[in-house]
Order: sequence, then structure tokens, then C-alpha cells
Amino acid sequence: MRSRTIAKPAAPKAPKPIRVQAEHGKPVAVAGVRVEEVREDWLVDDRWWTEQPIHRHYWELITVEGANVVVFHDKLVDRWFRQTA
Amino acid sequence: MSTPGGMIVCVHLPRFELVAAAGGPEALSGRALAVAPSGSGPARVGEVSGTAQAQGVQQGMMLGEALARCPTLELIPGDPVQVAQAWEQAARALEGIGAQLELARAGLAYFDGDGLRGIHGGEEGLILATRKALGRPVRIGVGPTRFCSLAAALETRTRRARRVSEREVRRYLAVQPVGILSYRPQAAAIVASLQQLGLGKLGALVKLTVAEIADRFGEAGTIARRLALGYDTPLRARRVEEELRESMRLAEANSGLLLERTLEVLVDRLLARPQRRGRTIRAITLSARLVERGTWREEVVFRQALSDPHRIRLALSQRLTQLPAPAVALQLAVTEFGPAGGDQGSLLDGERTARLVRLQDAVGQVRTLAGPNAALRALVVDPRSRVPERKVLYAPWQQ
Repeated sequence: MRSRTIAKPAAPKAPKPIRVQAEHGKPVAVAGVRVEEVREDWLVDDRWWTEQPIHRHYWELITVEGANVVVFHDKLVDRWFRQTA
Repeated sequence: MSTPGGMIVCVHLPRFELVAAAGGPEALSGRALAVAPSGSGPARVGEVSGTAQAQGVQQGMMLGEALARCPTLELIPGDPVQVAQAWEQAARALEGIGAQLELARAGLAYFDGDGLRGIHGGEEGLILATRKALGRPVRIGVGPTRFCSLAAALETRTRRARRVSEREVRRYLAVQPVGILSYRPQAAAIVASLQQLGLGKLGALVKLTVAEIADRFGEAGTIARRLALGYDTPLRARRVEEELRESMRLAEANSGLLLERTLEVLVDRLLARPQRRGRTIRAITLSARLVERGTWREEVVFRQALSDPHRIRLALSQRLTQLPAPAVALQLAVTEFGPAGGDQGSLLDGERTARLVRLQDAVGQVRTLAGPNAALRALVVDPRSRVPERKVLYAPWQQ
């Protein structure tokens, strides 16, 4: 039997990069799908006392396809990520 | 080990395997015969006939030496299936007179005769009933322990049963050859060493202290000494169960695929038999009749009692690769049943423990194949964290 060593996976809820179009910092499309509604947004500033601080702006969105997505803008690297709660 | 007491009957059918392979006791008369070496392991001859023995051939001797001592020696292929069937038939005949048997090996069995004397009209009546049930020459020894009755059965001639009373056990065993120990697996390994050291009789073994014996021979030595003193473990009678077997002829020269398919059908048939009554299977005998003369037989004991056809097939198919020659027929027979309806639950959390053990086993196999990261434990470390990836982490699975 052929065996293949499996690499260690990322954490279960690790953020995944996603393409987000934003206007004035507010997402209007996620992965090419238009955002119908912004349900909620919140800021997370954590671990600022360490060398790996977290500065994120989370958005809970409803797309025109009816999907409920949570994305955040990482202010330190200026990139968007998708994440499950 | 228990102290002497009771009445243990030893039934010994000499050269049982040779007689079965040769086709009957009359085939042995005047011929130098030996069971040919089996396919695996060193080439040593099996049981030998009296004529071959008279010419210096002994069971377990290397084939070359046996042929050198007796150039006219005829080798007969072993027939383990026929031996097992004939022995089972003999055992059931003995169980028919009420004996609860402990089967030591093909041709050697013990039972407790205490409760049967009343049924058969005393000891003589019981021995007569035993001979009648078997319907062939048999050596019978009676003694207070299994080992003592074995010594008596080996010493006696066919016509007369030898009885050793509790009072004369030590005196009787003291003059017996140490070779008798070879009939007990726990002590068989030291027989040759004892003989080389000049300890020919059990009496010489008894004269040594426990410390001396333990120092030289370890546990096997102390077991042998206790046996020689007349102590033995209690009789362990087998449970009497109905036979359940399925067989199928193979139409053509068999390939691995055909054998697998046949095995699949046999397992399904066996599990479908109403006589199983929902019980699981703990041990199975897989046997085959070979294209050339002879048979092949392998007993498979499952790690746990099963009724899952897939797992049974998986365990058995590995044994099929050990077939020494192409087979013309394949047979499955249940040797021992397990509890009904799957795993036996316990009063506490047996099911949970068993599930955990199975899980550990599966994880171990997966990790062996795909590395340590193939199975990880999702560990909830901070369920209230505002950062989702910090809520759950993957941790190594502790075996």
C-alpha cells in the first residue's frame, strides 16, 4: 500500500483570504457576489501587548445569493479574510 | 496448580494423525511410514509407524536422518482436515457417554470420571463404555491428575487400563521417563536438556530443589517439577456446541480472485445459517483440499467475537495466501461462538471502553500509514475568545 504523509492542517477556524470589493471601507461584494445587507460590524483589537497584535474590522454580511458570510479587514496587512465564527 | 484428587481418565489413541493420513490402522501394519514434513519450517517428519520406530526413526527427526536410518521409509502427506474430522467424531462419541472432555491434541483427551462411574456401573463399566464409544484400540489411564493419568495411559497396553491411586502417585511418577513432559507444552522445551544432563526419570527431577531447577530451567522447570510431584492444573472441559460448516468446490484452477470470491460466499452462507442464532463468531477453521494429495487447515481466532462479514473476510483472506498448493475445495467451520448480538456489554462503561480501544487502534493504523498529523484531536481551548481561530486548536492524539 502506498503511504503519504499528511502535513499538519491549519487551526479549525483559521481565516482564509478572500476577494472583497469595498467602498469607503464598507464591503459591497464578496468573491464577486454582491452584498445585499450588512447585518453587523465590529472591531477587534487584541494582543496589542504582544509581537503579534490583532486589529480587525469584522463584517457580517448577507449576499444577494442569500449566504451569510463573516469577513474581516486586517488593518495591519490591509487584506480581507473570510472566517467562520 | 491443584493437589491430587478425583478420577481423571486419559484417553490416548496412538499415532492418530498417521492413521488418519494413511487411511486406517491396517495400513500401518508392517510398513515403515511417517507423516511427511509440512510445507513451512524445518523438514522434520511427523508421527511414525511402529516398523519405522523399530528402525530408529522418531517423530520430530530431521528428514535426512530419518531416511538415512530407514531407507525404505514411506512418507505420507499430512491430512490435517481428515485428522480434525476424525478427532471431532471421536470426541463427540466420548461426549455421547457423558464425558466432559479436555482435548489436549489429536488423539489425546482427558475427562473427569468421578460423576460417570454411577451411570456406567463403576470404573470398569466406564472404561468399557469408553472403549465401546470409540470402537477402536485405545490406551486408557486413570489417575488423580491429568499428568498422572497421561503417564498411566502411555504405559499401559491397549487391552488394559492402568489405574494409579492417589496414594501411589509420587512413587509411580518417580519411575516414569522425563519424555512424558513433552506432552505438556509448558514443560516440553526442557525435555531434551534434562535427558542430556542425565535426568532420565522424573524421580531425579524431584530430588533437585525448586531453587536449583528454577535457576537452570526457569518457569518450565518449576512446572515440570510440580507435575512430577503429582500436582497439576484442574481439568478444563470444552463446551459442547453444534457444528456449523460450509464448503464449496472450486470449479477450475483457482486464482487469488476466485478464492476471495469463494471465501466471500462461504462467509455469507455461514452467517446466514439459522443455527447461528445471532451469535458472534470467535474462532473459525479455514481448510482446503489441495489439487495434489493432502489438505491444508488453519485455525483463525479473532481478536474479538465478530459477526461482521467484511471483517471476517478481511481476517481470513490473509490466511488464504498461505495455501501451499492450489485448492480444489474450500471449507469454513465455526470452532467457537461468541456472545449473541455483538459485543458483550458490561455493567459499567464497557461499551465506551471498547469503542475507545477500537478508536485508538484505528488511529494508530492511520498514523502509521499517513504520519502523526493524520489524526489530530480538536481541542477547545478558549470558547469565549473574540478571535475565532483561538477557540479551537488541533492537538496531537495521545495514544
